[in-house]
Amino acid sequence: MRSVDHCTQSDVNGSSIRPRGANANGTMPRMLAKALKEATGLLRAPQRVPPLVQRLVSDKIRITFEQKHLYSYSTSKRCSVETLDALLRWIVQAQRPDGGIAAYYSLLSGYSESYPEVTGYIVPTLYEFARLCGSHEAVDVAEQATLWLLSLQMPSGAFPAGLHGSEPHPSIFNTGQILQGLVRAYVETKRPEIMEAALAAGDWLVGEQQPDGSWSGPGAYQHAPHTYYSMVAWALAELSQCANEQKYAVAAERNLDWVLSHFRTSGWVDGINLRAHPNYLHFIAYVLQGALECGILLRRSDAIDAVGRPALILLRKFETNKHLPGAFEADFKNGHRFTCLTGNAQMSCVWLRLFEMTQGLRYLNAALKMNEMLKGMIPSRGAQGILGGVSGSCPVWGRYQPFRNISWGCKFFADALMLEQRLTESFVTSKLKALPCAS
Amino acid sequence: MRIVILSSSLYSETASAAALRIAELGYIPVGAVALRTLDHRTLLRKVGQWGTRGVTKYGRNQLFPSRKNRFPVVNNPYLEPLLKRGDRVFRNLREVAALHAFPTVVCSDQNASSSTAQLKAWSPDLILFTGGNILRKPVLDVPRLGVLNVHLASLPEIRGMSSPEWSLLQNVPVGITIHYMDTGIDTGPILQKYELPDAARSESLSDLRNRLIAFGIEKVGEVVVALDRGVVSAIPQPHDHKDNQFFVIHEFLKARAVERLVTPHQSARRFE
Repeated sequence: MRSVDHCTQSDVNGSSIRPRGANANGTMPRMLAKALKEATGLLRAPQRVPPLVQRLVSDKIRITFEQKHLYSYSTSKRCSVETLDALLRWIVQAQRPDGGIAAYYSLLSGYSESYPEVTGYIVPTLYEFARLCGSHEAVDVAEQATLWLLSLQMPSGAFPAGLHGSEPHPSIFNTGQILQGLVRAYVETKRPEIMEAALAAGDWLVGEQQPDGSWSGPGAYQHAPHTYYSMVAWALAELSQCANEQKYAVAAERNLDWVLSHFRTSGWVDGINLRAHPNYLHFIAYVLQGALECGILLRRSDAIDAVGRPALILLRKFETNKHLPGAFEADFKNGHRFTCLTGNAQMSCVWLRLFEMTQGLRYLNAALKMNEMLKGMIPSRGAQGILGGVSGSCPVWGRYQPFRNISWGCKFFADALMLEQRLTESFVTSKLKALPCAS
Repeated sequence: MRIVILSSSLYSETASAAALRIAELGYIPVGAVALRTLDHRTLLRKVGQWGTRGVTKYGRNQLFPSRKNRFPVVNNPYLEPLLKRGDRVFRNLREVAALHAFPTVVCSDQNASSSTAQLKAWSPDLILFTGGNILRKPVLDVPRLGVLNVHLASLPEIRGMSSPEWSLLQNVPVGITIHYMDTGIDTGPILQKYELPDAARSESLSDLRNRLIAFGIEKVGEVVVALDRGVVSAIPQPHDHKDNQFFVIHEFLKARAVERLVTPHQSARRFE
């Protein structure tokens, strides 16, 4: 999720509690109401106090004693399979009665309403998990989620922004993210109505694209073009392959070219373009993930090379500091002190895919260590919503989605662990056996 | 030539062996600066290197040595010939300093102004770095020639941490590089590179590392002599290799690196 959604960004983005750009157009009272609702959540459900206090104490201890020197990395005794199972359990339990997946579980106020965007792009994760572990439950959840998504599609082919229940407003980004889920659901089920919905969404996206390849206007967040919409291009590239229809690939490539034109030689990517928000790692990683996956699908080696530069800069920062800052200023300067766990998990995915593409072992090394670090941060005990949850920030009071376990965090970390499993297995079985001895 | 030794600890076998080696060649060190052993930073670094269990075990064995748990006379067996003088084995810098009558200074940070002032007072031609902090420019600027480091891999291909393991995985010849240090990580001008013979025929990664350390000390003596005679010059590293920094290796990849070693057991099996 990008958590910033057109009309309900303040609903979903935890940073809404203290926005820099809030003004008199009604945003501030709405945000205050939300903050009050969150705060009074504890009064309505006092049983949430002990886990909240426990989390506050454990995060304080963690940031006080974490080791930052070069000689070590965070390790966890939990195996990847067990963690993956806990993550998927969290996602399954976050499915609402309507079939959608909740955006988050707030440590203060409990589960949110269903969130179409995340519900869409969590579908591929569920099918991947089912393929890996033979889980029928994951397939059931994915099918219910897909049915719910189909019921939300607008006549134009677009999907709505925001949490379920808010005033429907077509959103380019959410439509792209949901399109990913639809494409995967069609591949798995071959149901024609899913392909029809995917094609309608793809056509709407192509129609909304600007001549320069970007997406802006009313369907874009803050009406501005954003480079992290490379995720939309990725979805279109997937649709093009699945439907064997070139026009979607052309649109994806136009956006990819536009996104790549925003990569500075320093490695920084311009055009994240979020007014009143810092450049969260989550969005930086979105740009990289979208451009990389789109580049792989479209066989654009220049995209893979371009993503390699910022990915290596972030790799160095991670290796040196043992975590990635939650947000940056331009040129990766002035990293914020909190960690955005979702962004960390996304970077693990980016590094793993770069390893797969380039055979660069440093990427694999960093991703393995990142996954170790993240595994240590997933609660192995607790009630529903806590066990297996990925918090927005570490410490939990950090600026990105404070006091919340977020569904897209679980999604990206599950993706990272499944990628790790696939790549390490193939590395052991094939790669090294083909190599001669060192000397 | 006036040489100063920088060490991570007074009990560093590597520093002791290096001091003995250059003294043997006629270059008695003018001093040595070692990091405090029980400093909290050192302790943290050791926790990072050995893990909490390793540090606890080390502390327990030091405090209550038993026949079973007693550490060998020399931790790195390949250094034993360098540390032995007659029947005596020199296991720490103080003993070496007493033998050759040079001063030792203990500090908690080699970059601290007091350490820099001490180094300047010795006005060295060369500093031999055997371990400690990442050195900053004020310290690097003290010696007339520079600060020598023995890097346990071929530069510029493999910079940074876990370098023997990365050499194995990257299929780069395993060896050492003797170079001047600059403010980057292993980016300074190269004096000499040497490949370790039969590197893959090591029992384990720690065995390989021990062999490389001993090999490096042997070779650094040759480089010091060559520098004194002015028959070696430093070659700057190419800029296109600036991106070759490696970091601490994950256990999964470490296990893959071990697979690249031809252990004696494997050799025997192959021979059969």
